[in-house]
Amino acid sequence: MQIHPSLRNLLQRFWDIAGGVSVRSKILGIVLGLVLLLGLGITVQVRQALTQTMAAQLAEQSVSVARDLAARSTDLILLNDLFALHRLLQETKANNQNVAYAFLLDSQGHVLASTFGETFPVDLITANPIEPTAHHRTLIFATNQGYVWDTAVPILEGQVGVARVGLSDTSLRATLTTITNQLLLTTALVSLIGVTAATFLTWILTRPILDLAQAAQAVARGDFTQRVKRWANDEIGELATAFNQMVGELAKADEIRREREILRRQLLEKVIVTQEEERKRIARELHDSTSQTLTSLIMGLKVMESSCSDLNIQLQAHDLRQIAAQTLEEVHDLAMQLRPRLLDDLGLRAALERLVKEWQMRHRLSIDLMYHVPHERLPDVVETALYRIIQEALTNVARHAQARNVSVLIEQRGEELVAVVEDDGVGFDISRIEMGDSAQAHLGLAGMQERAALLGGTITFESEIGRGTSIYIQLPIPKAEENEVENYDFARG
Amino acid sequence: MKKWTGLSVAWVLFWFLTACSSALSLPAASYVDLDQRVPLPTPVNSAVVPLRVAVAAVISPQGTVESYGRLLEALQTRLNRPVELVQRRTYLEINDLLEQGQVDVAFVCTSAYIAGHDKFGMELLVAPQVKGETVYYSLLLVPDESTANDIADLRGKVFAFTDPISLSGRMYPTYLVKQQGSSPEDFFGRIFFTYSHDQAILAVANKVADGAAVDSLVYEFFLARDATIGEKTRVIHRSPPFGIPPVVVNPALRPQLKLELQNFFLSLHQDPQGQAALQAIGVDRFIPIEDSAYQSVRDLLSDLQATR
Repeated sequence: MQIHPSLRNLLQRFWDIAGGVSVRSKILGIVLGLVLLLGLGITVQVRQALTQTMAAQLAEQSVSVARDLAARSTDLILLNDLFALHRLLQETKANNQNVAYAFLLDSQGHVLASTFGETFPVDLITANPIEPTAHHRTLIFATNQGYVWDTAVPILEGQVGVARVGLSDTSLRATLTTITNQLLLTTALVSLIGVTAATFLTWILTRPILDLAQAAQAVARGDFTQRVKRWANDEIGELATAFNQMVGELAKADEIRREREILRRQLLEKVIVTQEEERKRIARELHDSTSQTLTSLIMGLKVMESSCSDLNIQLQAHDLRQIAAQTLEEVHDLAMQLRPRLLDDLGLRAALERLVKEWQMRHRLSIDLMYHVPHERLPDVVETALYRIIQEALTNVARHAQARNVSVLIEQRGEELVAVVEDDGVGFDISRIEMGDSAQAHLGLAGMQERAALLGGTITFESEIGRGTSIYIQLPIPKAEENEVENYDFARG
Repeated sequence: MKKWTGLSVAWVLFWFLTACSSALSLPAASYVDLDQRVPLPTPVNSAVVPLRVAVAAVISPQGTVESYGRLLEALQTRLNRPVELVQRRTYLEINDLLEQGQVDVAFVCTSAYIAGHDKFGMELLVAPQVKGETVYYSLLLVPDESTANDIADLRGKVFAFTDPISLSGRMYPTYLVKQQGSSPEDFFGRIFFTYSHDQAILAVANKVADGAAVDSLVYEFFLARDATIGEKTRVIHRSPPFGIPPVVVNPALRPQLKLELQNFFLSLHQDPQGQAALQAIGVDRFIPIEDSAYQSVRDLLSDLQATR
């Protein structure tokens, strides 16, 4: 359907106002609007019908009074009985409340007698001229005293004169006023009843809806104990039932989710703990066993090199010693990467300094480390998690960022540990990573978040393409309670 | 609070709308200010003095206008001067107007002529001739169903008189009652005056009165126009002939005008317009008449006076 733009505009503006008010106002508005419209319509119609009927009646009455006057005055005029004429006019006026005036003209058009007394309205005589042969002539005059139905009736075909009677609209106006007031009063009463009924109706309608809204807000906050009362067996009652069912289902689903989450956390913890323990074991193995073996091998090769006179064997032993030394170096690095001993022995600061140094060397990066933590040592879990997170962050920088400068800041703010890793690299589109565009990158970020989350912390990534990347890590510092330390006791073993 | 403001605004608007429509709006022909008044002008005497013709209330005022209209028109044409018809309720009022010179010519009743003649010399002008005669009678009328055959049968009944000094309508029936050795007040159960003969006839026809005495000329004139009157009424007595009601003038009227008027009446039957005017009042023609024609009436009246 094609709606004219201005009409649509108007409708839109109406809806802006009507839609903006409360349900109570809407219902009140509808009820009052309808009542007032009905009242107004009926009042106007009744007034119109009444006016028409009464005007017709007045016109008829005007004719009958004038004809009566004409008939009764004929002989009196012929007999020149002016006093009787005067009395007749007074009686006519007295017996009929609607008569505003009555007067008699002689055949020359002079006033014989009138209810006006000694004076006479200037224009009245000429206002309703009549043919002598006419039956009667009725005109409506507007006067300073309202409308007047003026009827002229010739007496004896005008040979004797003309009788004129004017009927005023006083009774018509009085009736109209009475009827209008009554109708308006009725409308007012009905409006009052309407307002009361609408208020009651609104209360009935909106109370369950407000209850529902309140309950929904509580559910949104995670309070699944909320239930709403079913007030009535109507649509809103249905809604209440459906809402209660939904909250029940949500509570169940939430319970299941919660259990799964706990399971997941426990599993994750276990994985991380196991991983760290395994790494530690392997690192120790590499350090204690493999390194010792390799050192023995190198020592043996050195002895062999110096004790043997054969140049060929000497050279070969030297080469082998070189290879063994390089392997030893690599085993050291591997052990270091798996689990730096420094972290266990000297703490986070030393471990990070070492990590930074190594990274600078290996990837030709300028890394600025600032470490402002008053405590000598932090709980193992915190140190391990932060170390791993920063390690992952630096790995990402090295792999993807093409950065030149990286700054790492770690400081304690109250009960929180805050770490910031910033680079001046190419940056990335966070939304695309989060949408799972690059599964591996996503997994890396998610792994960092999971680690932080396990300790009740958060990680925020900020990046834009071409403007580098910032990672904000917040970790609460757990109070060193025995059971908690036990729980996370994977670091020192 | 805003809501109530809106509500009251709507209410005020509603009242305003209905109040607007409470102003009546009708198609008025013109505007008249009923309070803008001027004193009524006193009638100006026109330069031409009209000839004032009085007609005694033999028949009702309205009937007189209808019957005498043509005659007065003819007179107006002849004299080339406006003619004004003057009517009064009683014969005596007409006599007074004649005496005071406020009326020039008058159609009067026989008894009124006699009274006027005796009092101030009322002068005969002409007399109508009806069906070749210049006399009329008083007829005693009763409703057709009435069993009365005589004035004596009307004792204790309702009787309608016409005019207090009407010969046929009051004097003659009074005379009849006196002959019964009574007075109308004692003889009849109730008496009322109709002030004209046609009203008396109608009173009997409609049984408002059990009897009435009327002018035979009026009765016959009525019968000619409305035959049902004859069916509803019955004549039970006819008086001896009386001199016909004449046309009279004020004795002080200019002789020249008197002559002119006499000529007008006497020649009226000679032209068609005049004939039509005569027919309207049920008259053949007008003829000159002498005071002696009323001698019998005068005798009757003096008899009546004597018995009073």
